[in-house]
Amino acid sequence: MNLQRKIQQLLKPLSQPLLAVLIGLFTGALAIALIGESVIDTYKVMWDGAFGNFYFLTATLARATPIILVGLGLAIAFRAGVFNMGAEGQMVLGAVCAALASLYVPGSGFVKLLSAFLAGFLAGGLWSLLAGWMEVKYKVQLLISTLLLNYVAVLFAGYLVAEPFQDKSGSAALAQTPMIDQAVWLPKLFTGMSVHMGFVIAVIGAVVLYVALQFTSSGYEVRMLGKNPFFAEYGGINKSKVLLFSMFFSGGISGLAGTVEVLGSQYRYVEGALTVPGYAWTGLMAALLANSNPLGTAAAAILLAALQTGAMGMERNTEVPLEIASVIQGVLILFVTAKFTLNWWKVKKKASDINGAV
Amino acid sequence: MTYRLEMKEMTKKYGDFLANDGISIQLKKGEVLAIVGENGAGKTTLMRMLYGLEQPTSGEIKLNGDQTQFYGPRDSIKQGIGMVHQHFMLFSDFTVTENIVIGHEPINNGFFNRKLASEQVQKLSDQYKIPVNPSKKAGDCSVGEQQRIEILKVLYQGAEIIILDEPTAVLTPFEVDELLKTIRYLADQGKSIILITHKLPEVMKVADHVTVLRNGRVTGNVKKVDTSIDELAKMMVGRELQQLSERNQLKGEPLLEVEAISIKGKGSKPVLDQLSLTVHRGEIVGIAGVSGNGQSELIQAITGLTSVDQGDIRLGSTNLTGKSVAFRRNEGLAHIPEDRFLWGAAKEATIEETGMMGYYNKKAFNKYSFILKKSFRGVVKGWIDRFEIKAKSLDDKSGNLSGGNLQKLIVARELGFETDFLIAAEPTRGVDIGAMEYIHEAILEKRNRGDGILLVSSELSEILLLSDRIAVMFEGKIVDILNRRDATEERLSVLMAGGKEDESSTKNTTTA
Amino acid sequence: MELFDYSFFASAIRMVSPILLAALGGALCARVGIFNVGLEGLILAGAFSAIVGNYYSGNVIVAVLTGAFGAVLVSLLFGLATIKFKANPIVAGIAINFLVLGLTTFGLRAIFQVKGAFYDKDMNGLPKWDLPFIENIPMIGRFLSGHSPLVYTAFIAAILLYIFLFKTVLGFRILAVGKNEAAARSLGLKVTTLQYGAIIASGVLCGLAGAQLSLGQVTMFTEGMTAGRGFIALVAMMLGQSHPIGMIGSSLLFGLMDAMSIRLQGFSMPTQFTAMLPYVITIIAMFFLKDRGVDSQASGQQSSR
Repeated sequence: MNLQRKIQQLLKPLSQPLLAVLIGLFTGALAIALIGESVIDTYKVMWDGAFGNFYFLTATLARATPIILVGLGLAIAFRAGVFNMGAEGQMVLGAVCAALASLYVPGSGFVKLLSAFLAGFLAGGLWSLLAGWMEVKYKVQLLISTLLLNYVAVLFAGYLVAEPFQDKSGSAALAQTPMIDQAVWLPKLFTGMSVHMGFVIAVIGAVVLYVALQFTSSGYEVRMLGKNPFFAEYGGINKSKVLLFSMFFSGGISGLAGTVEVLGSQYRYVEGALTVPGYAWTGLMAALLANSNPLGTAAAAILLAALQTGAMGMERNTEVPLEIASVIQGVLILFVTAKFTLNWWKVKKKASDINGAV
Repeated sequence: MTYRLEMKEMTKKYGDFLANDGISIQLKKGEVLAIVGENGAGKTTLMRMLYGLEQPTSGEIKLNGDQTQFYGPRDSIKQGIGMVHQHFMLFSDFTVTENIVIGHEPINNGFFNRKLASEQVQKLSDQYKIPVNPSKKAGDCSVGEQQRIEILKVLYQGAEIIILDEPTAVLTPFEVDELLKTIRYLADQGKSIILITHKLPEVMKVADHVTVLRNGRVTGNVKKVDTSIDELAKMMVGRELQQLSERNQLKGEPLLEVEAISIKGKGSKPVLDQLSLTVHRGEIVGIAGVSGNGQSELIQAITGLTSVDQGDIRLGSTNLTGKSVAFRRNEGLAHIPEDRFLWGAAKEATIEETGMMGYYNKKAFNKYSFILKKSFRGVVKGWIDRFEIKAKSLDDKSGNLSGGNLQKLIVARELGFETDFLIAAEPTRGVDIGAMEYIHEAILEKRNRGDGILLVSSELSEILLLSDRIAVMFEGKIVDILNRRDATEERLSVLMAGGKEDESSTKNTTTA
Repeated sequence: MELFDYSFFASAIRMVSPILLAALGGALCARVGIFNVGLEGLILAGAFSAIVGNYYSGNVIVAVLTGAFGAVLVSLLFGLATIKFKANPIVAGIAINFLVLGLTTFGLRAIFQVKGAFYDKDMNGLPKWDLPFIENIPMIGRFLSGHSPLVYTAFIAAILLYIFLFKTVLGFRILAVGKNEAAARSLGLKVTTLQYGAIIASGVLCGLAGAQLSLGQVTMFTEGMTAGRGFIALVAMMLGQSHPIGMIGSSLLFGLMDAMSIRLQGFSMPTQFTAMLPYVITIIAMFFLKDRGVDSQASGQQSSR
């Protein structure tokens, strides 16, 4: 009986995202049918594109790497109860700073590598901290300020690589930094495959964050702040401090997402290389989908990455455009916090109970 | 004769829980029916069914002899039932007129005819002798005035049956008298009134008929003239009430010293005005007062949730002024908050997590900044045993606990700190009698160990039962402090209304 | 080249209209207690459907109507998620933004077989209307006149909304819902209906904003062409305290900045910095949102989980 309850406990938080995923896939099926393609075949091709062979599998994991890290960063902020929407800016600043550090910090490859990680983390963290500080000190709504700061950060990074730090070596003047020294590159996990050391870092990060949130005092403070800020304050938790701390780490980890992408896959900062694939937004969806559980976020990130690489495979082999992946994702998030059926009446009943107490 | 309203064998089940079990009431034209009972007796559920907010599991409602059903407030209003909620349903930014006419606004080609509305409100106010200022903003009105708005609103909606849910809880004694007069007058004009309350003196003053509920059942159905307060109390509680025991004086050295603190607040008047107060060891100091006279701010100032503009707060030899909440708690301050859902717990957190607040960083439960959950679980289990908290499992959400059980958990948590000083704000609000006695016992026990307790409660009976000394707050000041022996409900009532003892009891500063 | 001239102010007024229209839509939602972060998506849906309508009908009026209709469909989805299924409105709003971004890129491929942007020289843009009398006013006449009908619609809509909210019974009830939903329910007001009504109306307004974007200047649709305008509109709404007249003022400020950022590109300043201008100004404007008025409860920071 105890086991049964344990299983129920384990499954209950999963039911909601699973339902959302089903609705997402159903909507995708509708769109596929609308174009006049076979739903089953298309999804089959999609599956193969994501997991069909070892090459595709590693490509999926490579794509998942920055998404996991961004998702983890956001999970911290969400757990603390703040809507950090600025992962994109934080990631891009982290990436460009990491690239610059590995180019211009003198020293051995290891020193460069270390300073690149430090620069990436700090850049993302401080940018995020700025929004947190504006919220704490001046009540500037973080949800919106972080969104707007994205545009500023991306444009600023674009300026850096278009003007002062542009790679002038090639014939065509692209908006990118010069290539970083090979000694600083993160090693690939398998020769010839795109997945790199960053994936391992991301997975370790997920485990560490899970433990930190679940079992340490700081984690407890962050979670209680998110669940009820009044309760946290009443219990002696310093609200502002915990919020700023959460925002700093949140942005810092997003910065790391940019860092590993630069050091492990691009080997330079290329304008648009991080924004066009929408890593930050996919990371956001992963965190939302997993209800900010770090382990769940990692799993959701891999799922969403698979959806995207699968969609690319689908586009190569069928008439269905790959944008269907974004449609599925959108629907999925739209309903991930919805209260369906079972949950639905429970909430209704609860609401009336609360009124009843009045 | 046919009754204006009859509810027959009303039953309401929530899952396994029987909130109402075959309750019947009858109401005649021009009659005041009091429905009395303790918290959780089922009064609110019954009225919610009458007002269409809940559907009965079984039972029938007859209006003027005809069977009917209510599918929502809209429906009930249409059939002539009006409800004055305990917590006012007002729009503070709207004017008195707008608040009264909303839902039935006078319309002129789709436009809101505010002028006509204002005239109608004035007329209604004159007709029923319920004075209001139609153009004032509801948010600027006193509590008594806001209640008058609510009453006029249901009259404007054309209600023949008016439900008043605990209407006197928030009023000054003077305002209570005015309200009772209004109720009588409305009944004389042919309205039927249902008064929900647990305050028996008021029942004796105004009701024609009394229905007593206990645990979802009717335990008494009598005419006022045939009964007495004692008999009603017995029917309400089901046994003799505990009499307060004589107690030995313990009063030791001063523990908490509040010295001339002020908080400016937003309005013109300060929220706390040069307030001074001392709580000694081995003493319970009760704060009495009509809610909204600065009690909440006083608690928040002492606990560090609000900063003071002036004055000092000391605990023993430590100055707490300007210090953080955490610092104060470490110095030996525990706090049962007035609102358990807002301050006292996180609904989404597990029971264990809610209990852990304040303990997670204590040495006994924390190693290398990891929380030692295993050692802590034993502590929570101890609380659950001692206070008989009904919980499915420690991993269940705090929000799933019933109000009383959650309150017991919070009380257990705060007592568990074993601090020298405790603030107990509304420690038994909304809990059943069993839980109430537990909590009272625990607080007294703490006092008898020589700790100091500051008790804030809107229930005078609770203050009188527990306190060694009683301080009365009015408009941010303490107007007087009485010893337990000298305090009577009458004397406190006068003080609570802002009147000095030597002045006549009718003098009142809050009337508009 | 001068910084300020007639064409600068004319372009500012043109830039104001989508922001103002969307802000009005957002304000309606805020007034019924729903913080609508999905404005960006609603505008984008409007812009895309307007182009689709234009392409198939060749008629501008039909195009504008399809724009509004497309946005209304999306807003209904938002309403369904937040009202019926009680989804967290902020998450749902963000989801709407993603969903529409996905749907429109998908639609570009599925309908027009293009990626990134769609342009067809045969499509008609919105006409330019000269206002009699006003165009003859010295100085200001030249930039007040000669805009698309939707630009005028934006300002007229603000005034109509003002009258609706503060003078009519229905508007009064909408205000009531936003101020105290529990009280409104206890009075038997049809809260849910009013909320759906407001959400649909906000869909119409955002659809018009989108149509102005895709048909107003150059008749084309670009992927993600709203570029944060929905969020700027959201700040304009908060800065204007969801009051129609206040929002005219705040939208004018942001429209001016939009125009300025384009104008500054003609000067020897890196384009990245000029493009930053509207966002930076918007952030700075947020420092002045002392009292966040009716939205403060609806948009509560601590609402994620």
